[in-house]
Amino acid sequence: MNNDHWLKKGLVLFLFFFKIGCFTFGGGWAILAQMEQEFVTKRQWITKEELLEMVAVGKSVPGIMITNISMLFGYHVGGIFGGICTVAGITCPAILILSIVTVFYNTLKDNYWVTAALTGIRAAVIPIIGSAALSLGKDALRSRIAVAVLAGGFAFYMLGGSNIFLVLAAVAIGLVCHFAGVKL
Amino acid sequence: MSLCGGETVIYLQLFLSFMKIGFTSFGGMSMIPLILEEMQTHGWMTAEDLSNLVAIAEMTPGPLGLNCATFTGTQTAGPLGGIIAVLGVLTPAFTLTLVVAIFFEKFKDSSVMRTIMLFVKPACIAMLLGVLVTLGGETFIGENGGILPFSILISAVMMVLLVKWKWSVPKVIVSSALLGILFYGILPMTGMGL
Repeated sequence: MNNDHWLKKGLVLFLFFFKIGCFTFGGGWAILAQMEQEFVTKRQWITKEELLEMVAVGKSVPGIMITNISMLFGYHVGGIFGGICTVAGITCPAILILSIVTVFYNTLKDNYWVTAALTGIRAAVIPIIGSAALSLGKDALRSRIAVAVLAGGFAFYMLGGSNIFLVLAAVAIGLVCHFAGVKL
Repeated sequence: MSLCGGETVIYLQLFLSFMKIGFTSFGGMSMIPLILEEMQTHGWMTAEDLSNLVAIAEMTPGPLGLNCATFTGTQTAGPLGGIIAVLGVLTPAFTLTLVVAIFFEKFKDSSVMRTIMLFVKPACIAMLLGVLVTLGGETFIGENGGILPFSILISAVMMVLLVKWKWSVPKVIVSSALLGILFYGILPMTGMGL
């Protein structure tokens, strides 16, 4: 009976996150809204506070925010098996859909009209990334230290420095400040 | 046999690249500069392909990071490459996040991560600004070295629509595709293109 229970839970998790992966546009936050509806309101597997705690923690762990939150949620509900089912559920649709899209992209990208459309689309990608930087900046650039890190990081990038090194350096400085007890 | 060996190497490189990307990215768009760097270091993709990838990943359902990894991996080494890139980018979820999940009660009020994020977030913004410079160069300057005024126009209009009018990203992408067809497809045929 107990065995049956965790298998069933794993299947429910996999199927729900598979469905989310197939139909949810708009990235992480749209997915969270659906998780809240299904698991807080309808099934009552977790409380809203627990979900918010998972979001806060999932955001500060490296990697893809929503797969981190999926892992935290899946583990909370169904242990390691639950975590794996949840992450697998959200990952499979991305692999299936994007594999198909990639084939189309490769066959169509040299077509005259597709090239024209893609040239227009690439012009839109600049403001899309720009507005992401803006909204990230709204809550991340409140202190003078943050602005200094931004300026230093940008100069480092323009001089050809490695992005991965930049992120690791930021993590290291954060760790040093924390353990040295620097007030920020 | 030697071909087989070469393929194994590229799968391993893809996995390691995306593992690095996974462990150093913190949410959403901050993954893009890291992907660009890895792709250019290995010569797997051009900046133009990466720009297209951002649009495609935004237009398809599911999280941006997974879409990017699948597309890049498939482009580089076929369908298996896509799966391997995704497994690479998921390494943090299956290792670090799992540990965090097991000790969740200890982590949830941890101030270490908060201090780290104070530095990581501005670093992410710096990378995004840097990537804008790189992609801007590719997008606004044509193959013959001339400036593409229509692209600058589309960018400016879409920025206003996104930030001031709160248009959704898919709407912005479809509109700019139509403008692209008009400016770079129809106008050159009438002899008015630039």
